Amino acid sequence: MIKFHPTEELLVKYTQGELDASLCLVIGTHIDMCPVCANTVKDIEENVAAEMLNKSSRFATAEMDNMLEQIMSSSAPQTVFREPTLKEVSLEGKQFKVPPTLGRLGSRLGPWSKVPGSVWRAPVDIEGEQNINLIYMAAGAAVPEHTHRGSEATLVLNGSFADEYDRYDDGDFIYLGDSHRHSPQTAQEDCLTLAWLDAPLQFTSGVARLLNPFSSLFFR
Amino acid sequence: MHVMPKSRVTREYMSTSPSKTQEVTTEYLGKLLADVANTRSRRAFSELFKHFAPRLQAFATRQFGNEQTAMDLVQDTMTNVWHKAHLFSPEKGSPTTWIFTIARNIRFDILRKNKHRQNDVSAEDLWPVLSEEMSDSSEDNFALDQNILMQEIGEYYNVLPDAQRIVIEQIYIQGKSQQEVSDELDIPLGTVKSRTRLALQKLKELITAHD
Repeated sequence: MIKFHPTEELLVKYTQGELDASLCLVIGTHIDMCPVCANTVKDIEENVAAEMLNKSSRFATAEMDNMLEQIMSSSAPQTVFREPTLKEVSLEGKQFKVPPTLGRLGSRLGPWSKVPGSVWRAPVDIEGEQNINLIYMAAGAAVPEHTHRGSEATLVLNGSFADEYDRYDDGDFIYLGDSHRHSPQTAQEDCLTLAWLDAPLQFTSGVARLLNPFSSLFFR
Repeated sequence: MHVMPKSRVTREYMSTSPSKTQEVTTEYLGKLLADVANTRSRRAFSELFKHFAPRLQAFATRQFGNEQTAMDLVQDTMTNVWHKAHLFSPEKGSPTTWIFTIARNIRFDILRKNKHRQNDVSAEDLWPVLSEEMSDSSEDNFALDQNILMQEIGEYYNVLPDAQRIVIEQIYIQGKSQQEVSDELDIPLGTVKSRTRLALQKLKELITAHD
């Protein structure tokens, strides 16, 4: 069972197209995995659509007829096929299935690189910036304790990890505002996540603090 | 992150009353879309246009505050409605919702184009509204969470074609009668009955084959 979902506020903004494309990707991928949120978004869509389109403006008749004529004599827009280009990712001898929303943007997935602590990451190039990554933690791995200057959204694609607050499994969506500190780690099971950041991480403890000047290389 | 202005409180959208123009029903709009899709009916499209264009214009003017951009959005949206009406499926939502999602996507792309970004993601990647042959079943395969009845039927439920699954959902989960489902989805009662029968048959086969 999925325990952690985006808030209704986030889902409304998502439905209205008011969020970053990269955060929309994380939420859309969660919705692929979560029928509860898929249903909620359907309801939100109906409500938002009814609200957004409930008022008419005065549209001059001549202008209207003109546009109508142009449309009906226009040639058909290009047909688009949007099948997922990425069906699974392979790492450390394992294959992981990729939900369709992420799969449709699969060609934007960059190469894997290793980060200290049995952690790998691969950037997804969405906004020309790399603020969204696939992050793979091997079993028994730990990301050093860190805090965020901005917000962080994490979606568990496969496996499980825990931090000081809870344990997260397949499909769980975790949104942390700034000033939250946490140290994610895996136990017996490995974990693949999709992680979005709107500002670089700040490592807060021990030797990892030395990473700070480089954290933007690792996570952004 | 560009977040909507604070003044537009999200909750509002959930609590407003339905539109006042009840004389134009969802079913009627759906029928017009079907006529456009099936017979390229110019009359049906004109009616859709007269209903939606002024609404889209009001929406787009609020969003952009720019007359010309607003008109572009109206024209782009309605052009897609004219050419892609066959992609509308009443089982997924109302005509108003479908047309809104087209407009939402166009707006999203217009706003991003204004930022002069290269190699950008299109809204259609995130919300495939106008893509052909979207394999719905592949999306549903990632469904992990199930309510109690779905749990019993388990993974087999997702194997059902969309049309059958929706009927089953309404009858066995929402507890509607076949007549109610027929009325709501605007499909003949006979079709509801045959979809129910086929779906149950399929589920039975799947469950016995795996037990």
